[in-house]
Amino acid sequence: MELYVSAIAIWVLIYTLMATGLALQYGFTGLINFGVVGFVAIGAYGSGILSQHGVPVWLSIPAGAALAGLAAYPLGRVTLRLGGDYLAIVTLGFSETVRIFIIKEEWLTRGTHGMPGLPRIFEDWAGRSSGDLTLLVLLVAVNVVIFLLMRGLIRSPFGRILAAVRDNEVAAKALGKDTASFKTRALMIGSALCGLGGAFQAHYITFIGPEQYVPLMTFYVWIAIMIGGAVSIRGIVVGTVILIGFLEGSRFLRDVFGGISEVQLASVRFWLIGMALICTVLYRPQGLFGERTKGTN
Amino acid sequence: MIWVDLANATINGIVIGLLLALPALAVTLVFGIARFPNAATGDFMTFGAYTVVAAKSLLALPLAIGVAMACALTALLSLFFYWWVFRALVRRSPVASLIVSIGIALVVRSTITFFAGQSQYTIEVPLVRAWNFDGVRIVPTDLYIAGVAVTALVLTFCLLHLTPLGRRMRAVADNMELARASGINVGRVMITLFAIVGFYCGLGGVLIGIKAVVLPELGWELLLLLFAAVILGGIGSPLGAIIGMLVFSVSQEIASLWVGASYKIVFAFFLLLGVLLLRPQGILGKVRAVR
Repeated sequence: MELYVSAIAIWVLIYTLMATGLALQYGFTGLINFGVVGFVAIGAYGSGILSQHGVPVWLSIPAGAALAGLAAYPLGRVTLRLGGDYLAIVTLGFSETVRIFIIKEEWLTRGTHGMPGLPRIFEDWAGRSSGDLTLLVLLVAVNVVIFLLMRGLIRSPFGRILAAVRDNEVAAKALGKDTASFKTRALMIGSALCGLGGAFQAHYITFIGPEQYVPLMTFYVWIAIMIGGAVSIRGIVVGTVILIGFLEGSRFLRDVFGGISEVQLASVRFWLIGMALICTVLYRPQGLFGERTKGTN
Repeated sequence: MIWVDLANATINGIVIGLLLALPALAVTLVFGIARFPNAATGDFMTFGAYTVVAAKSLLALPLAIGVAMACALTALLSLFFYWWVFRALVRRSPVASLIVSIGIALVVRSTITFFAGQSQYTIEVPLVRAWNFDGVRIVPTDLYIAGVAVTALVLTFCLLHLTPLGRRMRAVADNMELARASGINVGRVMITLFAIVGFYCGLGGVLIGIKAVVLPELGWELLLLLFAAVILGGIGSPLGAIIGMLVFSVSQEIASLWVGASYKIVFAFFLLLGVLLLRPQGILGKVRAVR
């Protein structure tokens, strides 16, 4: 039971990293990243491959995150001087491209076989169950640091320009700000956070394979921030908790409704995610706690 | 020999390009008039393809009636989502519509997989021998497919350019507020738009289902290709969408002679980046820079 609770908590903390990244992009800057899972996959595979070539985990995880951030650079440069729709389309294509690359380039990623046996973070000196607890503590610390950095970032002049870009890009431009460059930086930071979440996830479950990084995962993260309202740390945490609660809870759906197949269960879960996306935008665009005027269009 | 392969790939590319021009047209019309990239387009196509599968296997209807049913039902589906969702979002930022269209895509696809599962289906058509000109093969079925697609495309152009309704649609695309101020009923234009969109998605989905196999990811996997072709052709330009789609699918078929078919999406992605870098307004469009 303790193991189960700590496992859930670890999932929540991993997803809050990704949700924070997306919230920086969408909630605070107004960028639409439909390719979250692509950056998560780059973080996971980047760190996973490095660690299998002898790089220690404490180094490979930040390296994976950095790779994810760097991968966002060309996408930002190409699309962010244009309208916002382009970024949405390009990031969607990017995440599919990453997945196909992972499947096809077997020399690097072992393709559909996936990469088993990635090192766990604290296993060397803490063993399995207390290793989980140590990881939990580490993730809490990482999340707190990221939250503090984010808060600093958002209150800094840089963050104020991001908010200006979100609320009125023309005005920000008229004040002489190179908005495309600011947006690119926000995109990179957010994507690096997604990659960080992916890297932690890879070393927590110790296996990575292309079937984990399907587009649905992107919309898991979207749901988390939409429910939370995308502009407050409390919202991000609560949104993620609700998401993980739903994902875990839906596993027990089969016990309640007998005679439902695995495919049907997956369809129901999928359907509910889609419905939640539609209904939050339609009826609750500010999220469960957000203010209506802030960043919710 | 290489010339024969090239010729076959070109023919195949033209047929696929023509039939995918239908959903590409749907994307570009919504992009131009309602001003958001409709990510549900692909899954509307999937819905159309599955309707025919259901009509043939459950109701044992002939193919032609199944196709008509698919077009009509997909149009109704599209209208339903306009009536429930997009209508309420007309005055909000296009971003809201874009995010919601993803939600619709997920809902439509998961409803299909709930009932039909993940397995593949085929839409069987009478087998006909291909005409063979020294190795260059033309399948008569492909000619029918191309014929249906061309007819639908010509009809759209007549609608847009020869009827008062088409003139109103173009007016709304140009400037919605001005159109409304001049007494155009924007709601009615939108209803026509989403009916056409559903019709074309349904038809395109059926045709691609006949040419390939019917899968739950049928339309979703084409979505990036559609967006890329629309951007290549110029957003909001119907002729551009057709040209873009033809250029795309011919070059894709030719490229897959060398790099393998699974890299199609990757190819589309890099071509898209190239277009955005070199000519973001596309072949026939205007720049939609940050406004």
